[in-house]
Amino acid sequence: MERIIDSELRGLETMITQMCELAQKAVSTALHESLYHGDSYDKIRETSDFLMILADQVEDKAVEIILKFQPVASDLRMVKTFTRISYDLARLGRYALDIAYVNRRFNGVRDCDQWIREYIKDMSQKVMSMVELSLTSIKNKSLKSVKEVSDLEREVDELYKNFLDKIAKGTSESRAIVSSVLIVRYLERIADHMVYAHESLIYMLTGRRELIE
Amino acid sequence: MSSLHKIEVENLNAWYGHQQVLIDISMNIKDKAVTAIMGPSGCGKTTFIRCLNRMHELVPRAKVSGKVIFDGVNIYDNGVDPTWVRRRIGMVFQKPNPFPTLSVYDNVAFGPRIHGIRDRKLLDQIVKQSLEMAGLWEEVKGDLRRPASALSGGQQQRLCIARALALEPEVILMDEPTSHLDPISAAKIEMLIRKLAEKYAIVIVTHNVQQAARVSDYVAFFYMGKLIEYGPTKEVFERPKSELTERYVTGKFG
Repeated sequence: MERIIDSELRGLETMITQMCELAQKAVSTALHESLYHGDSYDKIRETSDFLMILADQVEDKAVEIILKFQPVASDLRMVKTFTRISYDLARLGRYALDIAYVNRRFNGVRDCDQWIREYIKDMSQKVMSMVELSLTSIKNKSLKSVKEVSDLEREVDELYKNFLDKIAKGTSESRAIVSSVLIVRYLERIADHMVYAHESLIYMLTGRRELIE
Repeated sequence: MSSLHKIEVENLNAWYGHQQVLIDISMNIKDKAVTAIMGPSGCGKTTFIRCLNRMHELVPRAKVSGKVIFDGVNIYDNGVDPTWVRRRIGMVFQKPNPFPTLSVYDNVAFGPRIHGIRDRKLLDQIVKQSLEMAGLWEEVKGDLRRPASALSGGQQQRLCIARALALEPEVILMDEPTSHLDPISAAKIEMLIRKLAEKYAIVIVTHNVQQAARVSDYVAFFYMGKLIEYGPTKEVFERPKSELTERYVTGKFG
């Protein structure tokens, strides 16, 4: 006989599957456009916002399941894991939006030197492989790709460091531009997270879900 | 014996007539901690705790083999007085069972009087202290002469806990102590269990998986008379090692 909690867990899983598909498409579109052509910023913005809403819904559902069923063992692990993964998937949407913004504002990397375009193309392919493998693993609840994803992550890390090394060997002007862009970017991220913290506080103190514009 | 272990159970077997109900149980009960014993009906939980203070042998044709070592003494050794054992290892039952016609005071003073304490001042002190520890003093201090039957179910269960505490036990066994109580009374007993664990070793039998998760530090899962899994509560409820435990705690049993 099916337990009542089973249909609730399936509901969570359905939301995660939907998030996987949306996040994968958003990242893939943004990366493709950064290298070739197109401007899907507005569409990706919608997708990214929707992913954030879904992540909130996953969290709400998870809390509801915890309150109603007080899950333990594999049920508890599933609820905890899906909550965490929903956040990761919402972040993928945000990164896709960030790339789409760079595409619209700076023409992606299409105006960069050939070697940079090739470099980023290579890195994009590895990252997209990781996204595809990971999302397939999540959907199939499989650990088959753990090693492959871990190896790819090391390669991507290496590519990132090598890229910065190459820039560091360039002119002082290019070094200054890259270093300022990176720091400005991280500052903007910190500021965003402080806004998210306040949105969470609003929820804690008033029960309202509000986005601070 | 490790000072962390209040009781060591070694190869414990128990029978009712020819029916074996516990099979080769070995586990240690930690001091100043709550150990929950859980499992489906008929798995031997209640028999197990009744073996820990020699109550099992009160049932006609009941038999025990193996060792239960309490403070370095095997309680089943020849010459060990079962009354001494039951005083040091107290028991609280599923259904609150105060002496209904005795007053609140006399219920708590009953055990100490049986053990020869007659001094009124000392008895007053024991009664007050026991009722305080059981979280009942504030509710009954105005009328200690009222009959125990006048108390609510939850108060009666706390009175039974006070009665057990009056004998200054070192271990308290509780057999589904909240199963007959409303949620608010049950929550009070659970809070009390946590508080008592600061001083005593508590062993609680429970059918309620969530209660075991809430109140215990260690959990033992019994199935068909065998100890299937025993470990820290967080581990057993988050990453059970046995497939049987997993199925039981997630309600996939049967």
